Amino acid sequence: MKALQIAASGMAAQQMRVDVVSNNLANMSTTGYNTRRAEFADLHYQQLARPGTVSAQNGAMLPTGVQIGLGVRASSVSVVLAQGSLAATGGDLDLAIEGKGYLEVTLPSGATAYTRDGGLKRTGDGLIVNADGYQVNPGITIPSDATSLSINAEGEVYAYFNTQVQPQLLGQLSLTGFTNDKGLEAMGSNLFLESPASGPPLQGTAGQDGLGTLRQGYLEESSVDAVREVTELIKAQRGYELNAKVITAADQMLSATTQLR
Amino acid sequence: MGAGIYTTLTRQSGLMREMQVVAHNIANISTTGFRREGVIFSEYVKRMEDAPSLSMANADTRHMDLRQAGLSQTGGMFDFAIQGDGFFLIETPEGQSLTRAGHFMPNAEGELVNPDGHRLLDLGGTPIFVPPDMNNIALSQDGTLSGNGQPLAQIGLWQPGDPLKMTHMGGTIFISETVVPADSATILQGFVEDSNVNPISEIARMIEVQRAYEMGQGFLEKEDERMRGVIQTLGR
Repeated sequence: MKALQIAASGMAAQQMRVDVVSNNLANMSTTGYNTRRAEFADLHYQQLARPGTVSAQNGAMLPTGVQIGLGVRASSVSVVLAQGSLAATGGDLDLAIEGKGYLEVTLPSGATAYTRDGGLKRTGDGLIVNADGYQVNPGITIPSDATSLSINAEGEVYAYFNTQVQPQLLGQLSLTGFTNDKGLEAMGSNLFLESPASGPPLQGTAGQDGLGTLRQGYLEESSVDAVREVTELIKAQRGYELNAKVITAADQMLSATTQLR
Repeated sequence: MGAGIYTTLTRQSGLMREMQVVAHNIANISTTGFRREGVIFSEYVKRMEDAPSLSMANADTRHMDLRQAGLSQTGGMFDFAIQGDGFFLIETPEGQSLTRAGHFMPNAEGELVNPDGHRLLDLGGTPIFVPPDMNNIALSQDGTLSGNGQPLAQIGLWQPGDPLKMTHMGGTIFISETVVPADSATILQGFVEDSNVNPISEIARMIEVQRAYEMGQGFLEKEDERMRGVIQTLGR
């Protein structure tokens, strides 16, 4: 009785959909978070009678045959890349990326990670880091006597001092793009790693290379649409119940069989 | 004697098979671009020597329901839904295949692929390359994909040459020996097509199958009792 396993695969799929939806809803206020969506595909088919099998003495053939599918599997959980709305924070190190680029961060291991979370901070030494304290490349240090900071759309960081009229250029934050952003490997903390599917990082400059521009004093909000997530949740729940119903029916058919003498 | 039992058994095994198909349809209720399957029972007539012919039930034919399903808005740049009859052509290890699951993304080389990594083919049968620095990807209804105002490729839509000979593979892929261009269909960007399984009719069919199966079991039990009665009466 394969109906039991088939329905169980359906329940597992709907369960995964609920997991994805709950993660989306949990990250409704995460800076730079993009909605995830679970995609499913049918499992392979069992060929019980191939099309063209002779079905009668006069040589008549089955036009379509019998194929029985074996259930469903998750094919991907992909990121829906959409620009989140921008929230004005006024912070001088809050950056929103308008476009598809990523900021580059150096992990303690020396590896490079990528993020769209532009809520940057500074360390005691003045180094620009992300919220976890990892250096944002190319590693810009703000002098302690700087009175204010200005970051322009191209990522150039300027410091103002009491002693001079002209601002001083400290460095330029770089943006990185990928051929397939959806192929990036999420590692939590709003960080992504390069993967074979994403393609190599394409380093560029904000405002050029089609990577978008930076906006100081704003943060990119999560692109989760609560209404859509809740409808997804309802659909997943009902789908789960339908599959459970199939299990009950298949079980009752089996029990009818076993009660037969 | 025994013909009654065997006739019922053919029906029972067919119903079991149909139950699997119903379970498979319901399991794929949220599979993008899934087409529901159905089983058709046919009469298998057996010639008898001393009696009228005997009709067995034969669940050896299936049909694929190719009706259009609803569309879900995803907003994805490379999410495409077909309106009308037609399929996308993708390149799989088994050769060129058809699919209506329109969730695509560029791979590391910049070619559009589906979640299983199979490449989407354009009207001329070549993979579609999207340069990484392209923004504003737009799709017109006839399948012309453009980036930054420049046309990139035209996505082809195809129909199976003989819809009856089409086989369903895993991964919402269909294989057809011949394909012909589909002219009437249009493509929408930012949508994917849902599964065309209707939960109400599927559950109704499931209950029908279950009850028919129980009826068959009841009949087998009665037939068993009858034969037992005959043996006991004659054996006395």
